[in-house]
Amino acid sequence: MRPRLADLSACFEGVIPSIIATAAADGMPNVSYLSHVIRIGDEHVALSNQFFAKTAANVRANPKVTLILVDGLTGDQYLLDVSFVRSVDAGYVFEKIARQLKATSAQLGMADVMRLKSADIFRVAAIEKVPAPINDPASSPDRQAVDLVVLSDTVSAIDRQVDPGGIIDSLLEGVRRIFGYEHALVLIREDVSGTLTTMGSIGYARSGLGSEISDSEGLIGTAARSGEAIKVNDMSRLRRFGEAIALNSDAAENSTRAIAFPDLPTANSQIAVPMVFRGAVLGVLFVESEARLAFREEDEAALLILATQAASALRASEREAAQTVPVPVPPLPATIAGRGVHVIHHRYDDSIFIDGTYIVKGIAGALLRLILEWHLNEGRNVFTNREMRLAAGPRLPEIKDNLETRLLLLRRRLEEKGAALRIVRVERGRLRLEAEGPITLKVAGE
Amino acid sequence: MRLDDRLMDFFQRPLMCIIASADRTGQPAAGRGVGFELLDDRETIDVIFSGWQWPRMEQSIRETGKFTATFVSPSDYVTFQLKGSATMRGTEASDIPHADHFIAAATAALCSLGVPPHMIASWLTVRDARVVRLSVREVYVQTPGPLAGMLTDVVSP
Repeated sequence: MRPRLADLSACFEGVIPSIIATAAADGMPNVSYLSHVIRIGDEHVALSNQFFAKTAANVRANPKVTLILVDGLTGDQYLLDVSFVRSVDAGYVFEKIARQLKATSAQLGMADVMRLKSADIFRVAAIEKVPAPINDPASSPDRQAVDLVVLSDTVSAIDRQVDPGGIIDSLLEGVRRIFGYEHALVLIREDVSGTLTTMGSIGYARSGLGSEISDSEGLIGTAARSGEAIKVNDMSRLRRFGEAIALNSDAAENSTRAIAFPDLPTANSQIAVPMVFRGAVLGVLFVESEARLAFREEDEAALLILATQAASALRASEREAAQTVPVPVPPLPATIAGRGVHVIHHRYDDSIFIDGTYIVKGIAGALLRLILEWHLNEGRNVFTNREMRLAAGPRLPEIKDNLETRLLLLRRRLEEKGAALRIVRVERGRLRLEAEGPITLKVAGE
Repeated sequence: MRLDDRLMDFFQRPLMCIIASADRTGQPAAGRGVGFELLDDRETIDVIFSGWQWPRMEQSIRETGKFTATFVSPSDYVTFQLKGSATMRGTEASDIPHADHFIAAATAALCSLGVPPHMIASWLTVRDARVVRLSVREVYVQTPGPLAGMLTDVVSP
């Protein structure tokens, strides 16, 4: 049976260079390597027009072209007879190739060299598998297809969660259970600055909760800005992408107020999948693996289903929490016994230190200060999201759609750092402050 | 065109080779070279390929007599393309050691760059060896960068 384009998915990862042969009007052939071939449906491919002037001129003079594509996992080679259709320099196909080119040329350390000017679309007339001298089944591990039943169970599990922590944990657990990927992060995007903050992770030596990256660079930033998944599938010869902050100790965290991004130095494959709700990117699911070509087309599609479900659940959770009506709260218990809990809030970046340990900054830090002031001034320890929105909304417009996730970050950082105070979610839209002793709050920079 | 000393040095390195011809309808044939021998006149090169893997190559060369071979050094991407007229010549016993040497050097170079050996073995076979004799008319720099696509006699000192 002749291969179809859909059977060649591992040829389109940019792992092993493709080869393009053309011929001039006088019949003189030309042959060169080609960085990117992208499949478009069942009958067309697009080539990044990075190739040399002679190839471009030949294609215009003689539309008949022969390609050799190479499976990045097995090494199998395919001969494709294709014919030039048209060139594009804008639109969906062009943008897709430009993103992929950026990601994979960053793999080669040539991000600044490779800039896509246009992409050429070719119709595929024939595909032929090139015979190979060896056919070692062990060299081409036959991974199982995505289990749709488990995928469906995971979608339901995400849907049943009512708070962001449960949604993010269910998403990460699904990534592990469905695909067997061991390293994954969920980052939530802030509308105003575009900063993405790690809200959950699995598999890393350090969780990286609260670590931040800009949406202007790297795979994660590209996925956040474009709303499209992007991946690299062979990083064996490359440096890791640039988000990782070279920090590895609590002391560094205290001095820089920056949390280290989780790091898997041995990663060979990475994928960033946007979490989209009604066209808006709420965050990014990032998965990495030590295996080459860990992310097939169907894996990407299944990850996108999970990420979309999680985005929908997160947005619903925010809306439901915002509607919770405050009810009378029980009075604060008599004086809390125990040692004092010393909290310092720095106004210039809203960073919070508890007993000398850096906890969090930004919106989550400002929210904790608000909670502590209510606690100290009004003597209560139960608070609602709704009153927080009313009190902090004018100063912090960013919390309009992601107060719940900011509170999740605050809760998780307090737990992770073993702080002497905690924020406990008592029910939807309501939380309680618990402390191991009387709290003092010092505001620095006033 | 006579190959200069710089090119002669280049051909001492571990290399990969991709080749092409075109049939009389203008349809290109593409494949991989698995060995070569530079002749003493420094204007002719014999390129070995697998007739088993690339059956269209021989047919196209016989139809049009036009051929090109691009050689790349995998460790630094330095690349040259040779073009000219070509004829098929009979395979001789001495061709096989040339191919074996080429394949061994290329395999070692690619392995050192992290390419799995089972993949390289799919690309480099001397099965049903064929030899094309190319009279070099033009040599182009194809190394990615500002000189890419230029004739070597334009960019040589």
